Amino acid sequence: MDTFITLVHIAIGAAIINNFVLHYFVGICPFLGVSRRVDTAFGMGCAVTFVISIAALLSWTFTYFILRPGAPLPEWVWQTVSGRDGTVDLSVLSYIMYIFVIASSVQFVEMYVRRFFPPLYKSFGVFLPLITTNCAILFACLEIMKRLDDPLKLWGLHEALALAVGGGVGFTIAITLMAGIREELETCKVPRPLAGAGISLITAGILAMAFMGFTGVDDGIKQAIGMLLK
Amino acid sequence: MNATVVTVLLASAVLTLLSVCMAWVLGWANRAFHVAVDPTVEAIAAALPGANCGGCGFVGCGEYAEAVARGEAAVNLCAPGGAACAEQLARIMGVEVEETFPYKAVVHCAAGYDDRLGHVPYEGEQTCAAANLVAGVQGCTFGCLGLGDCTRACKYDAIRLDAGRSTVDYQKCIGCKACATACPRNIITMVPFKAERMLVVACSNKDKGPDVKAVCTVGCIGCGGCSRRCEVMEMEGNLPVIDYDRYDDPTDFATAREKCPRESMVYVGHPTAEDLAAVAEETLPERIEADFKTTVDETEWRG
Repeated sequence: MDTFITLVHIAIGAAIINNFVLHYFVGICPFLGVSRRVDTAFGMGCAVTFVISIAALLSWTFTYFILRPGAPLPEWVWQTVSGRDGTVDLSVLSYIMYIFVIASSVQFVEMYVRRFFPPLYKSFGVFLPLITTNCAILFACLEIMKRLDDPLKLWGLHEALALAVGGGVGFTIAITLMAGIREELETCKVPRPLAGAGISLITAGILAMAFMGFTGVDDGIKQAIGMLLK
Repeated sequence: MNATVVTVLLASAVLTLLSVCMAWVLGWANRAFHVAVDPTVEAIAAALPGANCGGCGFVGCGEYAEAVARGEAAVNLCAPGGAACAEQLARIMGVEVEETFPYKAVVHCAAGYDDRLGHVPYEGEQTCAAANLVAGVQGCTFGCLGLGDCTRACKYDAIRLDAGRSTVDYQKCIGCKACATACPRNIITMVPFKAERMLVVACSNKDKGPDVKAVCTVGCIGCGGCSRRCEVMEMEGNLPVIDYDRYDDPTDFATAREKCPRESMVYVGHPTAEDLAAVAEETLPERIEADFKTTVDETEWRG
């Protein structure tokens, strides 16, 4: 039961309280670029959630077994080669590894979707390759790496996936909200110097401030879930 | 073996292994998830010139190819490809194509700087779009401003300024309409080239005769002499308009041209053999020296 509460806590934390876009300001490019219409924005959010989950799965696996300090694979190699105790730290490889993993998995997903879901492929269009360079996904990988630093409090795969799915859902919430506001903005009379990118950035800023209001509610949510389950 | 060497070796080994695995997986996926593209689309795309000029109204040649394959677009919309391309597309799609002519840009103003009266030095931004907003840059409010928005719009180097006249090079013009869109005075239109040389009305001034004479030494005064002598021409607002649907190459324009007091009707397109023979004697200058002043003017630098 504790595990479940932790997972919900992590997911809600990533989705709302520490929203990737509106709290950490990562993934701003698609947030502003693909938020003109609600349906495409929602599609982009789903694509990001999908890719972020796959990237988290792969990056947790690589980090847990190869990259983190005290990972089993380098340790085994070191002990076999030198015959002494101790370990080798491969965490320098983390960035290049994550970029590599994200890029290849996006390529794979693109081919898969193109073959088996042509309408989805058509609606994603250029967005899917663009997700390759989406910093929200790299950010999720780096967050997971951070939680695998301390050998005493290691995150399991389920926790990593909860963070990734929560983050993806949070991205979808943020970009869909933004698209809804921007659709309304189309019909508004915006002062000329602020029209276009200016009003979009101001809107995003106000949205981010609104989300700052969630700061600190995570303990309450944790207690509420605990009480509900009792 | 110390820890550094092992780290380096292990790092390279891990990355190499990962690259090989990923390459294998992606290569397999590429084959396994291969999507067959409609061969018709591929054939049409191959037959199109691939200039992506947008003259057909689609974003690029690819979009046009898809629209043709779906049967939503006509096969003869490609201006750069011309009749040969339309024929190929018709063969691929199995439809009949009407006879098409390449549409090319025609500038309806033949006045050079010296011909335009009331021409004052213009010091503002050196574009037609900007000069068009200012009153009194030149007497004629219909004709070419000679600041070259069309030359800058042309991606094919087919239109240039010759003493203030926008002159189209018909060997280079592919008919993409970019210049016609760029011209703020809308004096460039697309004319179907049914022959090597086409007769066009080289004036856009819709004012009455005396007003035209006051601002231009070559502009059409709207006397209507040509339209009375030639059945494919009609007067519209003090300007003769040639109906290119009825334009036929042997149509005799000689009497109409002779009657014109202003020589407003000119032939554009490929020069005739006589014209070429007339200038055959002239030799081109061997070397053209770079003119520094021109360079400065081009960059519009005023430091």
